[in-house]
This record gives sequence, structure tokens and C-alpha cells, in this order.
Amino acid sequence: MSESLPADAKPFEFTGNAKEWFGIWIVNLLLSIVTLGIYSAWAKVRTKKYFHNHTYVEGRNFDYHATGKQILIGRLIVIAAVVVFQIITAILPALGLILLIGLLFAYPWLIVRSMIFNARMTSFSNVRFGFVGTVGQAFMTFLVYPLLMALTLYTTFPIWDRAMKRFSIDNHKLGQAKFKMDAALGPFYKAFLVAIAWIIVTGLIGVLLTGFNFAEFAYAMESMDNDPGQGAAIVGLFYLLFFIAFLPAAFIYQAMTRNVVYNNTTLEGGHRFASNVTAPQLLWLAVTNMIVVVFTLFLMLPWAQVRMSRYLASHTGFIPGGSMDDFVTQQQEAGGAIGDAYTDLEGIDVGLPI
Amino acid sequence: MRNAPHLPGLRGHAFAARSSYRQPARLVTREGGEDLWVDMQNDERAVLASAYLSDLVIDPPLGSAPRKVTFPDGAVFETTDHAAIEALTGQTRGSLLHHYEGFNSRLFGVVALCLAAAWVLWRYGLDIMAAAAIAVTPPAVIEQIDVGTMQTMDFTMAAPSKLTDTQKRDVEKVYRRLVNALPDDVRRTHSFELLFRDVPGMGPNAFALPGGTMLMTDAFVKDFPDTDVMAGVLGHEIGHVVEQHGLKRIYRSLSMYVLIAFLAGDVGPILEDVVLEGNVLLSLSFSRAQETEADEFGLKLSKASGFDPAGLKRFFKELDGRFGDSEPPQWKSTHPSSAARVEAIDAYIDGL
Repeated sequence: MSESLPADAKPFEFTGNAKEWFGIWIVNLLLSIVTLGIYSAWAKVRTKKYFHNHTYVEGRNFDYHATGKQILIGRLIVIAAVVVFQIITAILPALGLILLIGLLFAYPWLIVRSMIFNARMTSFSNVRFGFVGTVGQAFMTFLVYPLLMALTLYTTFPIWDRAMKRFSIDNHKLGQAKFKMDAALGPFYKAFLVAIAWIIVTGLIGVLLTGFNFAEFAYAMESMDNDPGQGAAIVGLFYLLFFIAFLPAAFIYQAMTRNVVYNNTTLEGGHRFASNVTAPQLLWLAVTNMIVVVFTLFLMLPWAQVRMSRYLASHTGFIPGGSMDDFVTQQQEAGGAIGDAYTDLEGIDVGLPI
Repeated sequence: MRNAPHLPGLRGHAFAARSSYRQPARLVTREGGEDLWVDMQNDERAVLASAYLSDLVIDPPLGSAPRKVTFPDGAVFETTDHAAIEALTGQTRGSLLHHYEGFNSRLFGVVALCLAAAWVLWRYGLDIMAAAAIAVTPPAVIEQIDVGTMQTMDFTMAAPSKLTDTQKRDVEKVYRRLVNALPDDVRRTHSFELLFRDVPGMGPNAFALPGGTMLMTDAFVKDFPDTDVMAGVLGHEIGHVVEQHGLKRIYRSLSMYVLIAFLAGDVGPILEDVVLEGNVLLSLSFSRAQETEADEFGLKLSKASGFDPAGLKRFFKELDGRFGDSEPPQWKSTHPSSAARVEAIDAYIDGL
């Protein structure tokens, strides 16, 4: 499964190292804690800058330009809005419900604001990215598609997933050059079916090998309140099976679709991309990272982040179609960091899939 | 780089303003009156940009990442020669931070400080933030929380009380005796209204809302007519109101959520769940501490207003007898287990 990158592809390179990043990370953390979270805005900037600065293609690196002050202002506004929202819901539940519906419509707007801000604050080789997606597109992608997906019992998940990636990639620009993803739906469904097959096969083998019994499990869950000790073994077994069946499935899907996305993405000017990550490697990295981080009380987290960045960078390629000197920044307002603060709070990833 | 001519100056690369056009370049300085004059030249000695040193924007150092210098017209000079650029610019904004971020044994101290600070923040900082938030929350808002909650309850699960007026009056008498035993200033800050509802889903229960509204279920009055038991439970709930436990919990969990979301940043999908789960378990222990505090407050209040403090103990013993088998283990629960509470109450009464 481990295909190499095409011969003409220049691999991305991540030059950060765990020791150096550890120093920055731990100081970030300390200052954030003693300032009751205020410094976290500057910590975010330093984090993004560190990872961007150390990611190279063809000897040129990325950069992040937002300032701590911008991020802090965005966050304060969002926190104030959340507090007001909470108070209103507590005082007038009916009005809270109306506001919640309002938020449903604000959601696509916030996502677009966040993507514009992040794109404008990111540069490659001294040229800023841009984002031209509209709120209408975001509304379709993040609200209508998921609704349709639920109605079709999630069998249309690959369609939604491709729509999301298309929304993100096709609307991004480097300077004036547009990105374009032209991936067929077939490979997304293939990845989806392989992942499902993994869940079914490992699930069946697991059930056969361990004699796991759903009736017993249901009984244990019901009597959990009376005697937690009794059902512990079977509940533990359930989680183990769940872990073995679902976690690798997620990585299989992620690895297969990442390759499809990169291999079918172009940048105006004849530039192309390539990716050759594999599910077993990705899974191995994620699981070992998690174990090491948990057993070192999070102190090895910087190491784990660097390790993952290094792997992803070295398995991503750029196939230049011409000179890299011809990109020019296009003027676009970045707007405030409100959307960015919102997506941070909700844990939504809107960054460039570097 | 091997064929680059050996020219004096600080070597790096130049970018034209807003362009990805990149060429080898160097910074050359000469005296310019009070300030240093800086030229950016390419290898053909053509001047690409120039400015006084004090007009340059010099990015703060960040690990071993390349340093960037931006000229007023937007041209950028980038170099990995850290020593040379520091010699040129001297101490810049961020130099001190950069110094402390360096990987050496001092970082052990930073790690220890981090753990200590995280503990202090969790133990005291969140309470201080919650107290500050409570202080700026207008009392009218808090009372409105009670009104809103009662509306929701009446709409979803509560029916009007089926108790007789005599039954209600008996409970009210106990309740007023307790409230009157409170210091004047405390009594004035909350409404201390007592409401009765028939809530079949809740069993024998009494609880207080943040603004001071007390709610008692019909089942409680029927199951525990003993005034000492009533006083014990109501005293406990008055404790929650006076100590502002409800509000503290709301603000605490809100601050905690925001802090984790912004602090944790990129911990990865699996780890974020671990942190959030951990937080839930920790906040359960916090709410158990509140219960213990309220128990102690209630016991003191019962005694001060002439009831037998052992009433609360009888309540928990009775609960234990009824639900003892089905109670979840203590670490998973917002309330200490009844058996543990009876023990703690005994110990506290002995000390009263």
C-alpha cells in the first residue's frame, strides 16, 4: 500500500524539532495559566507560527501573521456573546430557543469569517492566501448536506465529506492563483466501504473469539446501577471491541481520502499535489502518540505533534508546473477574528489542509 | 549557495513586496546620522530596499525558525543567520521570551510551575473568577433564573401540588423558623420563597434554585412528616442558596469549558476527549464538596433554630435503606453516597 510519491514531486518538509517546540509550548502553557487564559491568544499565534515557519516546500516556508491582540479581541467578543446567550436561556427559555435558531443561521457565517481570517493570516513564500467561499455555500455544506445525510441514514456520508473538502479547497487561493479539487466520488465511496468492511469483519471476528454477547451486554448495562462490578468485564470488552473496530476504520477512511484529495488538487499555474499516507502508518502514529502522551502526563505532547507533522509533511508532495516566483498577493479584507474565536471554541478545524 | 560571491553583509533571501519572487540578498549597513541606515542588496549589488534600522519591522525570534525583517515598502528579508541578525538589531521585542523558551534544565522548573499553577487555578482561580462573575451579575438576573427554571419545570414535569393547606402551613412554619435564624444581611439578599409541586419523576425531594426559591415535592411531605428531618433537608438547601453553590457551579463550568477550549488548542481529537472527561470527573468531586458544605451549614442551622440536627441523618439512613443497593459509586456521582454522609454527619454533630 505504501506507494512512493511521483518522481517529479518535491516532498514537503517539516524542520521543527520536539526539544525546541517543547520549550515554546511549556512557556505558552505556563503564561496562559497564570494569566487566566488571556495569554492563550498569543500562545496560539506562537504555535501556528512555529508549525508554519517550519513547513517548507522547495526551500520556501509558510508563515502566520495574526497578532495576539486580534485573537484576544475576537475571543473576548465570543465569550461575552456566550455568557449573554447562557443568561438569556436561563432567564427566558423561550427567547433562548429563538436565539438558538438564530445561531443556526449565524453558524455558516461564522465559519466563512473564520476561513477568510485564517487564509488571510497565512502566507507561503511571502504571498497571502485568500478565501472566497460564500455564506450560502457554507449553509449548504454545513447544514443542508448533513440534514440530507441523516435522512439517508448516513449512506451519503462520502458525498457530504467530498462537498466539505470541495468547499474548503476550491474557495482557497494562493495570491491570485486558485486551488481546485477534481476528485471523483468513487474513491470516497471506496474508502467508506473499506472502513465499513473493517468494522464488520473485525467486529464479527471479535465477537466470535471473545464470545461477546449483546444480550448479556444489554443486561449488564441495565443492572449497572445495582452492581457496577459485575458488568465491568463485559462493558470493558465492549469498549475494547469498539476501539479495535472503529478507530482503525476512521484512520483507513482518513488516509484513503487524503491521498485522493491531494492527488486530485491543482493550483492555477499548472502546479499539482500528491499524498501517499497509509492507514496502518497513520494509525500506528496516532495510537503510539496517544499512549506516550497519556503515560507522560501530556509532557510528551510536543514530541507527538512534531512526529505527526513530520510524517504528514514527508508524505505530501508538491509538483511544480512552473516558476514559484510568480505568485502575487491579492488584496482582501481579513475582517476580525470573531469567526476564528468561535471555531476555536467549538473545536472546528478550518485551517488549510497543509 | 556554493557559487555565491563572497560579499560582505548579512546573508539571506529577499522577497519583493506582496510577491513570491525570491532571490539571494544581503543586508548592508552604514552610519546614517543618529540611526543606522540599512540597504538590502542582491548579488549584483542592486539596492532592493533601504530604510533606517528603527523603521524596520523585525519579527520576534521563535525557536530556530527563520527571522524576518520587513521594510516600510513591504519588501521582506529572511535569514537563518540568527547570530548575525541579533548582532544587528540587538535585543528586540520577544527576546526575553525567546530566552526563557530555550531547551535547558530551567524548563523542569517551568514544568513544575505549570503543574502548580494549574492546580492553584483549578482550586482557587476558578472560584475567584466565579465570585467575580457573581459579583457583577445583577440580583434581578439571578431572580429571573428562578422564574425561568420554574416555568420550564411547570411546563415539562411538574404538576400543581395536591397537599392540603394545613400540610403546607406545617412545612412553611419549619422553613420560616430556619430562615429567621439566618443573619439579617443574608436574609435580605435572597427571596427564600417556598413552593410546592407534585413531581412524580423526582420522588421525595427538595431543592433550591440559585435565586433562593425553594421547591419541595409532595412526595417529600408525605414520606417525611418528621419536622426534624424536614429542618435538616431544608437547612441543607438553604446552605446551597447562601453559599451561592448553583451560580458558582454555572460560572465554574462555563469558565472551565472556555479555558480548556482555548488552552488545550491542538491536543488532537482523542486527547481533547480525555481532558474533557477528566474535567467532568473533577467537577463531580467539586459538587460533592458543595454537598458536604451544605450538610454542615444545614446541621448548624437546624441546631441554631432548635431542631434536632440528627434529622438529616435519619433522612439519609432512610434513603440508604431504600436506594442503597442502586447507588452508583462515589467517584461517579455528584453527591457523596448516603452511607458516607451519615458517617460525616455523625462526626460533625459530635463537634457542634
